Amino acid sequence: MKKKLVSMLLTAAMVASLAACGGESAEPAADSGNSETAAPAETQEAPAQDSAAETPAAPAEGGYKLEKINMVVDGNLSATLDNGQADFEKQWEEAVGVDIQIQQLDHSGYTDAVGRLFASGDYPDVMIMPADILGQYLPTVLLWDITEAYDNADFQNRMLLPAINEALRVKGSGRLYGFSPTYGNGCVTYVKKAWMDALGINVDDIKTYDDYYTMLKRFHEEDPDGNGINGDTYGVVAAGFIGNEAPYINYLPEFWQDAYPALIQGSDGIWYDGFQTEETKAALLRLQKAYAEGLIDPETLTASTKIAREKWYSNDQKGSCGVFTYWAGRWYQTLTNNFVKNDVDPELVQLPPIEEVGAYINREAPVWVIIDDGDGDNAREQAIFDAFFETMMDGDVVQTLWTYGAEDVHWSIHAEEFVTNPDDPEKRKEYSYEEGVFHLKPSITDPNSLWAKNLFDPNLVVCELTNGYGDPSDLLVTGSKFFSEHSKDAPMSPVSETYTNESGTIYDAKLAVITSVVIDGGDVDAAMQTYVSTVGSIIDQCLSELNG
Amino acid sequence: MRKNKQVITSTGVAVREKPLGLRIWNNRGYYLMFLPVFIFVIIMNYWPMLGIRYAFYDYKPVGQPDWVGLEHFSKMFSTSAFWTAFKNTLELSIVRLLITTFASVIISVFLNEMGNLMAKKTLQTVIYLPHFMSWAVVASIFSLLLSPSSTGMVNGWLKDLGFIAQEQSGIYFLADSKWWRPIFYGINIWKETGWGTIIFLATLSGINPELYEAADIDGATRMQKIRYVTFPALSNTIITVLILNLAKVMNMFEPVFVLYNNAVYDVSDVISTYVYRQTFAIALPNYGYSTAVGLFKSLVGGALVLICNWASKKTRGRGIV
Repeated sequence: MKKKLVSMLLTAAMVASLAACGGESAEPAADSGNSETAAPAETQEAPAQDSAAETPAAPAEGGYKLEKINMVVDGNLSATLDNGQADFEKQWEEAVGVDIQIQQLDHSGYTDAVGRLFASGDYPDVMIMPADILGQYLPTVLLWDITEAYDNADFQNRMLLPAINEALRVKGSGRLYGFSPTYGNGCVTYVKKAWMDALGINVDDIKTYDDYYTMLKRFHEEDPDGNGINGDTYGVVAAGFIGNEAPYINYLPEFWQDAYPALIQGSDGIWYDGFQTEETKAALLRLQKAYAEGLIDPETLTASTKIAREKWYSNDQKGSCGVFTYWAGRWYQTLTNNFVKNDVDPELVQLPPIEEVGAYINREAPVWVIIDDGDGDNAREQAIFDAFFETMMDGDVVQTLWTYGAEDVHWSIHAEEFVTNPDDPEKRKEYSYEEGVFHLKPSITDPNSLWAKNLFDPNLVVCELTNGYGDPSDLLVTGSKFFSEHSKDAPMSPVSETYTNESGTIYDAKLAVITSVVIDGGDVDAAMQTYVSTVGSIIDQCLSELNG
Repeated sequence: MRKNKQVITSTGVAVREKPLGLRIWNNRGYYLMFLPVFIFVIIMNYWPMLGIRYAFYDYKPVGQPDWVGLEHFSKMFSTSAFWTAFKNTLELSIVRLLITTFASVIISVFLNEMGNLMAKKTLQTVIYLPHFMSWAVVASIFSLLLSPSSTGMVNGWLKDLGFIAQEQSGIYFLADSKWWRPIFYGINIWKETGWGTIIFLATLSGINPELYEAADIDGATRMQKIRYVTFPALSNTIITVLILNLAKVMNMFEPVFVLYNNAVYDVSDVISTYVYRQTFAIALPNYGYSTAVGLFKSLVGGALVLICNWASKKTRGRGIV
């Protein structure tokens, strides 16, 4: 009897697990289909369920009534599930009159997560895409051509930086398949002020690579952290010697200088492989020398951005570095906050680009795209553009949501007082605001820090807010201004079928060269020869497609 | 009319076999209980195998699959990175299997010889524990211990003991082709040896004590008893463990994935990590190529199972499948 009972229970558990599996897989498909198939049917009916007719999501010119938008976004959306996303979503839906379903994918694995999403047939309505990936998806006809919608958009008359999106137009046809609400931003080199002071280094004296190199050498060989031990610190740390996405060289610009180790278009319009140039060889030799002399933290080879960051502002400065090249603007504030949190001197100096670098690189901006349902009718896609893109740049309520998050959750204009770090006399800070004054509230997940932004960096956005709400962070403003004064646009990413298929193999081959030269101290010409013999034919095929 | 064949029951009585339908009906309770398992296996194990066909297609996240025949296999066999991964898979898996099995046997024998029960149980618990740590945690711990920077503990010791000059950089154990494999094997021994001792200790506890008593009467020393009683008794289990695990050598992924990096691809990249990079490290992956590599890996794994089965029949008189 007992055995029978156990058997029955096991059977029931198995059936339940099967049912659960079926239920989980069926649900997203049903959701996915909702906006693509069910919605057209709904256009036949007069929607009378809410006040949507008075909102920007009212039936578009084609008579399409949009009920729901499935959105896929990466980690750039700061309003995560733990950080007030439900409030952001609710306020967005109230403002626009359309349901929005946010699917936030892991930031570091975003590219492959998007691939898996598409492979499963679970297409979103709108999604964010890094610019170099946009190029690879262009030939797939998956992306809706937003050219007319963009040209006729209401936000055009508030556009401050039209060149950002003009640069996204396909060469030749001039068609546009994605919209970038911000410019790309880039990395600048930060130096610990306390370390410079300890060694008597003046930022104005760092003008050339030699000056920069000497500074790194002193950070490594002397005692900038003042712990009495020479040689237990490094000059610089980075997340890899080369990035795996454009613009590739932005974490160590002083070493790469004029090299651009990727497929790049020359001033004559001809594409070539920047990795095989003399500039790249010279850069590899600079890295080799600095690595051999211990100026670069050896873990740079394997460190992720998170590990590199944490080593830099670690509470224990032994093994840390004086220099770190990282994102400009908001990160100037965030890095400083982390130093404060870890009880490390927080003052950072933004190093103007050395002569050999000339300017930091403004990466290609991430873009938002609309997924085309391929039915030949643009009504649904236009409705999505109106409800999502137009409101995103409305200069007022919805743009504020994207910029700062939900009202009275992430920011407020109501009178209030609060204290951060109430139990720490040194860090304790009191805030007091009068009614009507815009201010950021304490972060939900870290009440001792102020909320910084939601998706848009307010200093990078292409259409300004018209309601006058501004981020009071001085460092953010200073950082953004510094970057815009010292940056140039990144080269355009290549669009080639072979490159799309083989970019992983090419990247592996580049890493092999870098490892061989920088870590193992190998001969740069021999390593480059290996690169050519490994992927030379693939590169030739890519160049032939790009120049064909 | 077809005549039912005769079957011999467990009591040796010859009876006429009942028709299949009747047998199923008579055992309907068991079949009903088996049904969910059957459905589960079909859905979870066999249904996904239909995806094998994509090895012959260009299959990307968007668009329809395009038939390419054997093109992916042709590309695979002409790619040096694939052959490096194939060679590494076999080498890393087999060496890891041999050394962890060897270490498990040695530790089992030592534990078996321990007289103090409390000490024995404590030691067993201590050596089992690493098995329950995830590979991600293990990798993080060893990355910190083996860090080449001034905070790395092992490099600190090496400098303190004078093996490395103080002003010299530390050894980058996990990014040096010379060091990566020894470190990899060492971590595997640390993590899995304890767990591997369970089956050998079970075998040792089943050895007839009379054999040891007879050896004592014959004047055998402790080492002689280990050599002439314990090891022969373990040999069948050792061969079984080796054969069973040999069939799984192509499946190595997690231990390598969490410990390797681009500096040591030449000695660490295995087929699973190669497939992972080909699939997930590019914007628009071609699942067709990944499937082709995966299919090849499965075929080799299947062949190994058959070889092991044959070896098992030869050595033990019965197969494993």
